[in-house]
Amino acid sequence: MMDKTCSLAQAVRAIAPGSLLAIGGLMLHRRPMAAVREIIRARIGDLTLLGATLGLDADLLVGAGLVRRVRTCYFGLEAFGLAPMFTRAAPAGALEIVEETETSIACGLRATLARVGFIASPAWMGTDFLRVRPDVRTVADPYTGETCVAFPAIAPDVALIHALEADPMGNAILGGNLAVDWELSLTARTVIVTAERIVPRLSAEADLLGQRVTHVVAAPNGAAPTSCHPLYPLDAQAILAYVETCASDRFQEYLSAWLQT
Amino acid sequence: MKPEFTPDEIIATCISRRLRDGDIVVQGLSTPLTLAGYILAKCTHAPNLVLASAVGMAVTLDWKPLSLLRDEAMWLDRPLRRMNFPSICREILPTLEPREFLRPAQVDPRGHFNNVCIGDWRRPRLRLPGCGGIADITPIYRRVELYVPRHDARVFVPAVDFISGVGHIPDRPRDWYLVSDLATFDLDEGQVRLVSLHPGVSLDDVWARTGFPLRVASPLSETPPPTAEELRLLREEIDPLGIRKLETVGGAARAQLLKEIIHREMHSQRRDSRPYTITQ
Repeated sequence: MMDKTCSLAQAVRAIAPGSLLAIGGLMLHRRPMAAVREIIRARIGDLTLLGATLGLDADLLVGAGLVRRVRTCYFGLEAFGLAPMFTRAAPAGALEIVEETETSIACGLRATLARVGFIASPAWMGTDFLRVRPDVRTVADPYTGETCVAFPAIAPDVALIHALEADPMGNAILGGNLAVDWELSLTARTVIVTAERIVPRLSAEADLLGQRVTHVVAAPNGAAPTSCHPLYPLDAQAILAYVETCASDRFQEYLSAWLQT
Repeated sequence: MKPEFTPDEIIATCISRRLRDGDIVVQGLSTPLTLAGYILAKCTHAPNLVLASAVGMAVTLDWKPLSLLRDEAMWLDRPLRRMNFPSICREILPTLEPREFLRPAQVDPRGHFNNVCIGDWRRPRLRLPGCGGIADITPIYRRVELYVPRHDARVFVPAVDFISGVGHIPDRPRDWYLVSDLATFDLDEGQVRLVSLHPGVSLDDVWARTGFPLRVASPLSETPPPTAEELRLLREEIDPLGIRKLETVGGAARAQLLKEIIHREMHSQRRDSRPYTITQ
């Protein structure tokens, strides 16, 4: 089965409620917004979101009431300020926060790639992270006896990745900003690649190999309003409109309009 | 006749002057003011500065003026080397210890700092975006360098609500530095110490806006102000849109400034909108 192309609606059917869902891209760059929109349309809930950073993508899912837990080292809208729905939900206890940092995410995914249960690092020593992550244990280095942190393996159920170009096998070009998508594409059980365009053969070297990709979907403008370098910049006015609409308590209004697009 | 300057300009200048030629520096998430400072160093005394970023996932020798709509372009148009997020975090950071100026939400007298939450972690008064990789690098780096765009007793607190950045470590000498819009600080015997006052700032101004007793260096010096050339570079070459100023204002003023910047950038000279090509 070399041809993995399908519709977005078909692709998101592979996502079970309660999944650990990894969102590709970074900050306000190359986020799989079309796939997120389809998940909201399909009302797939009880999700745990994982991202190197989370932003507009995850905030919409939180606002739509589909998220139980978030795992990230930064949840915000960069120059546009705090992520409004996350910032509202977090203090109310409506959302479980599993504190992560760059290292816990990178080590977690790399441990899965290496087929070990953890990767050790001196990160977090002397911070409060170990206090709020009792599941993360320390280990003694078997060679020096030094204490270090054993960052547990992370294996997402589903990864959503937006690409500039993909072939039907799922080989894909990411356009420079690689984020953490290579690791996501090799660790997740279900890998959904949306792409600006699907071509029989890639026009340049692939950033992602298609071996573990399960669904390939044509989604022109699929990262908007986040950027898709070098094809389009971020749509600052759309992101500003989101922030302002949420500030005046009209998230549902924004969401309804966005789901129609 | 001293040139007039704004808080963002003296902070960017202090950041610039800390850097040495040949250093590798990292721009963290959502920190345009540091980038302005780094580029200022590159334009003045550190032409061989190597720039790395979590924004664009690349290391580069080239710079572009600060941009809100295309902040990736500086990193991706002519990268020295593209890298992905785990590579930067697991390979570059622990080995090269790049310089990175971090912006804390809270700092305590021991130099520990917080970017996770205000109030109790279980039910915070305010949830912050998070600390990125600060908890990973501060336990191991020799240097900790911070900047506080708006010096306030809500930032300089007796005890932080959550330690996400490690300051003083007993029996380990550290080069700890903080620049705010009022003054510069270091750690002395594990305690935050005032080192220099910015021009026009009094000791009382700093006391009034600091939530814990400060040590004071003797003699207390004055921070050298930005030169006319440094100001020209910042205002005309590095950041004509004024994006760095987003870090020194809050609330409605910030929202207004953000709108103005977006408007200015959208209507400024359209950059060459390249056709769809992927070059290797």
